[in-house]
Amino acid sequence: MNHPEATTDTSSSSTSSNGNPCPICLGPFLEESYLDTCFHKFCYKCIVQWTKVVAKKHFPSTSVKCPLCKRENFSIIYGYDGSSFQRHYLTQNSEHRSFFSREHKYRLQCYYTEPGVLKDIINVSRYWKSGKYLQQNRWLLNWLRRDLQALMQEEEVDIIVHHILGVIDSFLGRTNQIHHKGLPETKQEEFKELVSNAARPFLAAKTDRFVQELEMFLASGFNIGAYDEVYLQRLGWNTTRSTSEDTEGETNEHTSVVPYLYIFDEDSDETD
Amino acid sequence: MQTSRARLFKEYKEVQREKAADPDIQLVCDDSNIFKWTALIKGPSETPYEGGVFQLAFSVPEQYPLQPPQVRFLTKIFHPNVHFKTGEICLDILKNAWSPAWTLQSVCRAIIALMAHPEPDSPLNCDSGTLFKAIFCALGTSEAINLWRECILGLLPHQRKVDLCRLSIRW
Repeated sequence: MNHPEATTDTSSSSTSSNGNPCPICLGPFLEESYLDTCFHKFCYKCIVQWTKVVAKKHFPSTSVKCPLCKRENFSIIYGYDGSSFQRHYLTQNSEHRSFFSREHKYRLQCYYTEPGVLKDIINVSRYWKSGKYLQQNRWLLNWLRRDLQALMQEEEVDIIVHHILGVIDSFLGRTNQIHHKGLPETKQEEFKELVSNAARPFLAAKTDRFVQELEMFLASGFNIGAYDEVYLQRLGWNTTRSTSEDTEGETNEHTSVVPYLYIFDEDSDETD
Repeated sequence: MQTSRARLFKEYKEVQREKAADPDIQLVCDDSNIFKWTALIKGPSETPYEGGVFQLAFSVPEQYPLQPPQVRFLTKIFHPNVHFKTGEICLDILKNAWSPAWTLQSVCRAIIALMAHPEPDSPLNCDSGTLFKAIFCALGTSEAINLWRECILGLLPHQRKVDLCRLSIRW
């Protein structure tokens, strides 16, 4: 099939039959992904592979130049479904982020497991019926910070932590004041909706799971260390000691035999 | 690896379809090996290479397009950025500045551009680089182009070249 009109621009295959193909594989887009600065489009797998090549050459790399326009980019946006999207930060290529500890990694992996791991241990409905939710949870701040850091893979989350804490505080304040005779279920719904709305701009598709986890943590009444212990046990990832009670605590590298999932290393196809 | 093969096949189809699009480049894939290509490129006009046809050999790695193809001139060419004996080309996009968005076709275009605009400061052919600079420093443009053409075509006696280089130092 011959195209009579000769292409004048230098970007090749602009007249190809399938419109604009992925610039890397020249095939149709699989899992459309965008770079965060220039918004050039690639297949997810293609651009991730390229960032790995770049990361090997320029270590440690936190950015990648767009193959098309050479602008610097810091993350890959993918999984856009009309309302939410996911982000792959290029720092994920290197394991050397200072703030991202093993504990963050474990928490991030938890978010990729089936929900309701602790359902049979922690009675969420009793938490709401008993009015226990009206008590302050002193571990909440650290738990929020850690989980948000893990989920967003970003160190600076304090603004979001305080935003969510503020929303929860005002909810508790209101509930205490009015002595509202609402059903615990209504309270629960209201609470979840408020937190969802507060978190969604930052967590997008991961919001619902985050709210579930938050509710579970509050209902458990555990501190962070105990909560993690139970969680790990449930997932069968249990080790002698894989998390420390203190969020800032360093874990011993050599004691861990946790079968990590390596979510981001799914395509380590170095073989020819 | 499957990806490189698939991508080269896409390029092959594109080349077949767009044959008339770029009359200066004729890319041909080896009959039995999709990782081996040759190209015939026309010397760019208004350069000493005008009127010449130059053959390039492509050897594509399995990691393509994450790794650049290896390209060299099969036709002997006197150019500051081409090794006179091996035909190796010094061009940033074939080394550090490679991007997987380049294609074999666009690499050919880049090589044509390099023929028109040599980079005498990063020479692979030092004689050519020195001579190029000598000629273009010393002479007016049109005279230089003529002389440069004679160099490239091998018409300039060796002694004359040596003299030119010496002269350029004095100037």
